[in-house]
Amino acid sequence: MVSDLVLLPQFLTNGLVIGSGYVLVAVGLTLIFGILHIVNFAHGEFYMLGGFAAVLGSQLLGLPALPTLLVVAVVMAAFGLVVERVVFRPLGGKDPTNAIIASFGLSVLLQNLMLKTVGAEPMAVKSGFAPGAIQIGNVFITAERIAIVAAMAVIVAALLLVLRYTWTGRALRSLSENPTVALISGVNVRRVSLITFVIGSVLAGLSGALMSTVFMVQPNSGALIVMKAFIIVVVAGMGSIEGAIIVGLALGLIESLVAGYMGNELRDIVGFLIVILVLAVRPQGLFGLKTERS
Amino acid sequence: MRSIVSLSAMAVAISVSVFAGSSFAQDKPVKLGVMLPLSGPAALAGTSILEGIQFAAEENNAKGGVLGQQVELVIEDDEGNATKGVTAVRKLIEQEGVAAISGTYVSGVALAATKVAREFKVPMISAGSTSSDVTDYNEAGDPWFFRAFPGSREQARQSAVDMVKKLDATKVAVLHENSVYGKSLSDSLAANLAEVGGAIILTETYNPDERDFFSVLTKVRAAQPDAVYIAGLMDAGAQIIKQSAELGVETQIMGSGSMMSDKLIELAGPASEGFAVSSMFEPSTPNEFGAAFTERFRAKFNKEPDVYSALGYDSMNVLIEAVRRAGVADGAAIQAALKGMDDVPLVQGPQGTVADFDEQGSVPFKIGLAIVRNGKREWLPFD
Repeated sequence: MVSDLVLLPQFLTNGLVIGSGYVLVAVGLTLIFGILHIVNFAHGEFYMLGGFAAVLGSQLLGLPALPTLLVVAVVMAAFGLVVERVVFRPLGGKDPTNAIIASFGLSVLLQNLMLKTVGAEPMAVKSGFAPGAIQIGNVFITAERIAIVAAMAVIVAALLLVLRYTWTGRALRSLSENPTVALISGVNVRRVSLITFVIGSVLAGLSGALMSTVFMVQPNSGALIVMKAFIIVVVAGMGSIEGAIIVGLALGLIESLVAGYMGNELRDIVGFLIVILVLAVRPQGLFGLKTERS
Repeated sequence: MRSIVSLSAMAVAISVSVFAGSSFAQDKPVKLGVMLPLSGPAALAGTSILEGIQFAAEENNAKGGVLGQQVELVIEDDEGNATKGVTAVRKLIEQEGVAAISGTYVSGVALAATKVAREFKVPMISAGSTSSDVTDYNEAGDPWFFRAFPGSREQARQSAVDMVKKLDATKVAVLHENSVYGKSLSDSLAANLAEVGGAIILTETYNPDERDFFSVLTKVRAAQPDAVYIAGLMDAGAQIIKQSAELGVETQIMGSGSMMSDKLIELAGPASEGFAVSSMFEPSTPNEFGAAFTERFRAKFNKEPDVYSALGYDSMNVLIEAVRRAGVADGAAIQAALKGMDDVPLVQGPQGTVADFDEQGSVPFKIGLAIVRNGKREWLPFD
């Protein structure tokens, strides 16, 4: 057992890296799903597209890391803009099932579109960092993995500042609390919805770009992570950004510990077990504040 | 009324064509089914295999086809999913009326598909599925699922011997994909390794979609094996090799047959140096029929063939030859013809390998071992 504990720092490090990727995807989804109430099953494909946008920037244009992330942000913002206007806005206000089905369709469409245009082969995003392991004590890590955690911290901090101190951020939060009251108070709900959707797309894309430096990108890359993102959003509580950050990191750590100490085959199951448990005990999610309104 | 008449006429036509074999299809092309994962996690392999299959059909068509007709391939995407596979095989047989099917790549899907195809008396010939479970499902002496290369049991037996004799590794850690393919290889390796004086000290499972192996490799590093054996597909294999190096796992790695691909070396980069892989075909094969295939493939596609193109080529080439020998595009006749193919050469395996299907429908030729040196696979001679 002592030898097992020696591995703990490595497991925690692994979990932190994976959790950081989850946080960005889940924060994006909590904006779209939690605040706009769009059940976007294509969110994983947004993540995948971000990875390919990074391939475009780093491989085809030969850009260094930061400009590549800028390319990803621009591409994903434009993409989010189009999708919101063309797919989800026309369906807004109608039966929410329509939007769910539409998002499924979008997911299949995007996957096959990429399969036809770029093929099934995994593609690597070049980070420009030196390859190889960095050893700190008993823990091995790579520069790319450290960059994922650092970039997540910066992006999430920037997002929290925007939400707290800008007018748009305040409008967004008011929208999450009550759209009707927000509208009465002079918030341009349509515009803020569009911005929210675009921010969500950009976050998913950035996550995809960062994770693809380590895990490469393929048309089906987003299939599993979208399920993880839904787990995080539901467990954290719909629309809770701070909750999504905490639960995202926690899920990464828990998965890593489960894979390490219990068996790798259980790793993708544990999140779903947690969801069932949380929904049974605390249906609004761990950090969800909203209760029924009279 | 008219529609009822035409419907019953159609029913008669269908039943007649079923009983009379291809007598109605004299001036129509010979339809052969192909099912492969062309999207989903195994799409990379599926598309490469399809290239080999189409190449075999084109070559045969250029030589005048079969039964005086051209071969027409009816291609279905099974997405590497058993449910989709059953739908695909039903569509090929019931709607398209194919007499035989080349497919598929994912073993679990092949197993589901052959159960359906056998009911309709339509023979299938593997387009890459390796698990012995699929041919074990055949009744001995009356196989409906054929595989023109060795199954997981033979491959694992050879890998166990190579592991101990060629790589000098006795303590082995196994990482296998959570699938029929991965599990059957892993189980057979465990059984065979003990016989040659080796032992498995750690077994871990991963899902086909998984891309992060740091936690599982952390355990591997702690267990200090002489070698790691990976039973899974190429994409995950490349990640495991790359992440092993990043995590400081300094041990010999051996992969199952799916990882015999140049793409793996490209994706894993310098970490792939020293990687060993079960190999049934290399462009530099000593097999003369295989070497000739390599030349023609190069001339046509302007690239090197790999094990996938070779698998696809053998699968379709053998199938078309069986139709030729059956003399009629009928499932039962083709199945009977497939049992006597011991003079039909294969591009895979050592010199002189032929499609001599055994009682269970498998061709257990000798599998080689390739090792990556200086960014290229070197094929160790068959001993």
